[in-house]
Amino acid sequence: MAAVPAMSVQTISPGEMQLLLSRAGLILNPGQVADLVLAWRQVEGLIESIRHDRPLADDMALTFRLPSPGVSPSVAPATPATNAKAKPPIKAQAKAKSKAASAKRRTAPSPPRKGARRGR
Amino acid sequence: MTAPKAPFLTIAEASRLIVGKRLSPVELVKELLARIEKIDPRLNSYLLVTERQALTAARAAERAVMAGRRTPLLGIPLAYKDIYETAGVRTTAQSRILADNMPEHDAETVRRLGAEGAVMLGKLATHEFAIGGPAFDLPWPPARNPWDTRRFTGGSSSGSGAAVAAGLALGALGSDTGGSIRLPAAYCGIAGIKPTPGLVSRRGVIPLAPSLDTAGPMAWTAMDCAILLDALAGHDPLDPASVSGPPVSYASAVATPIRGLRIGMLRRFYEHDVPASPEMLQMMSHAASTLRSLGCRVEDASLPSVQEYNAVGRVIISAEAYALHEATLKTRLSDYSRVFRVRVLAGALIRAADYIAAQRRRGDLIAATGRVFDRFDVLITAPTAGTPPLLTDQRPDDGFSRPLLTTVANVAAVPSMVVCGGFTPAGLPLGLEIIGPAWGDATVLRVGHHFEQAAGTRTRRPEL
Repeated sequence: MAAVPAMSVQTISPGEMQLLLSRAGLILNPGQVADLVLAWRQVEGLIESIRHDRPLADDMALTFRLPSPGVSPSVAPATPATNAKAKPPIKAQAKAKSKAASAKRRTAPSPPRKGARRGR
Repeated sequence: MTAPKAPFLTIAEASRLIVGKRLSPVELVKELLARIEKIDPRLNSYLLVTERQALTAARAAERAVMAGRRTPLLGIPLAYKDIYETAGVRTTAQSRILADNMPEHDAETVRRLGAEGAVMLGKLATHEFAIGGPAFDLPWPPARNPWDTRRFTGGSSSGSGAAVAAGLALGALGSDTGGSIRLPAAYCGIAGIKPTPGLVSRRGVIPLAPSLDTAGPMAWTAMDCAILLDALAGHDPLDPASVSGPPVSYASAVATPIRGLRIGMLRRFYEHDVPASPEMLQMMSHAASTLRSLGCRVEDASLPSVQEYNAVGRVIISAEAYALHEATLKTRLSDYSRVFRVRVLAGALIRAADYIAAQRRRGDLIAATGRVFDRFDVLITAPTAGTPPLLTDQRPDDGFSRPLLTTVANVAAVPSMVVCGGFTPAGLPLGLEIIGPAWGDATVLRVGHHFEQAAGTRTRRPEL
């Protein structure tokens, strides 16, 4: 695993900080500015440690592909694309077995159950 | 065997007694209210005790029991972190900004618990708007740790951790954006779960950073958390992040033995990234032995560093929290605590490109975390470096300078719980964190429950 690069924290002067604050529309007293300078040095280091050089095609939609609920009792899929290999949750497994048994007895599928969700 | 005194009953025990008509919900609530009055001035876990409403709800629960109703939370006294909106009951987020805030509606989670017959005892201390740390410049003092009142409870669900550990509520609601359920659970020696995002509605919970916020239960045991989660989980169409999925009975699932589960130890997290104390290292070693004795296969597992998850989490939290509070910060800056200002104002200076870089990196970390669950059912780690620090040792910029082990699960969007792993020779609790794959909440609770049973960590309570 890649380690986080050492933080090369830039120092920010009170004058530079005042400029940034006026851009943000904030009016702080000197004590509050001093607190913010200290905090900002930490945040700058965190920002520097996050990779910025990404391919143009990388997703910017800020959507994260979680597996669907109900496909993973104990082991999540490696990637969202492999969801089909995961097992359903315990209750869903029991339900699936029961449904499979019912399906053998039925010749036609029954309509979906209403209000199956807990607490609805 | 002597039955525990009423305030120290678990939810499961109290429920059995209530449904069996051997414990009166009214008497239970009265006993807890008396204990709160006696003990809480030393802990500051409650911001508001809703005595009248609690007794009314307890009487209604008693009538329902006598009429034959049998639900697991009927008559169970709970308390809610003061960021959960409660209709007609002040909800302050422990901030001057909302000192007179009187919500019109209950949070969806509060509504669900009420519908199951739970009794609200009051509103619990938090860090201001669920961020920051213990603040001494607010109208309400910070909560104190029941195991040693000089020490920090962990936060931000500070009152929830203290109240449950001290027997001032049988369970509580907390919220977790970077560890705010699990840190107080660890430091106060209780159980708490941060569910998979989308499992529990956040509607009516005052937000901190919406892309990371989760709501969840805290209680004395993993089983109690499962009972609470049974009531809390479920799709809420009015929470845009809520997910519709098949129902799961968590309380039933936890009883399933854990023999054969594959458990990954994130040893590098607490040996290298956030070096743990010798006592914590010893506890983790014992935890691995305990899980092996239950038939689990325990091996080392590896993820990106704690620092990588924290950099992403901290940037997102600062930017989103600032965005939520910007208007008020411009007009009422001095009404916020110094700790809040230090941790949130920096968000004003984060560029959009940096925020988006953090969100993109989060996608990588979610994928990397998910891949580990090809090999393991759950992961375990220390949730903290050691025992709760002294309240006076907390610094306003801790949120940036000290990476949190718990933030990994928030950034990775996976469920994670803390249970009590053991105690130091000085009698301070040490937590054990269990992390599962997305939607593997039931497995996380199962492991927590069976570990608690085997390790025998649920017999000791703080002496107050």
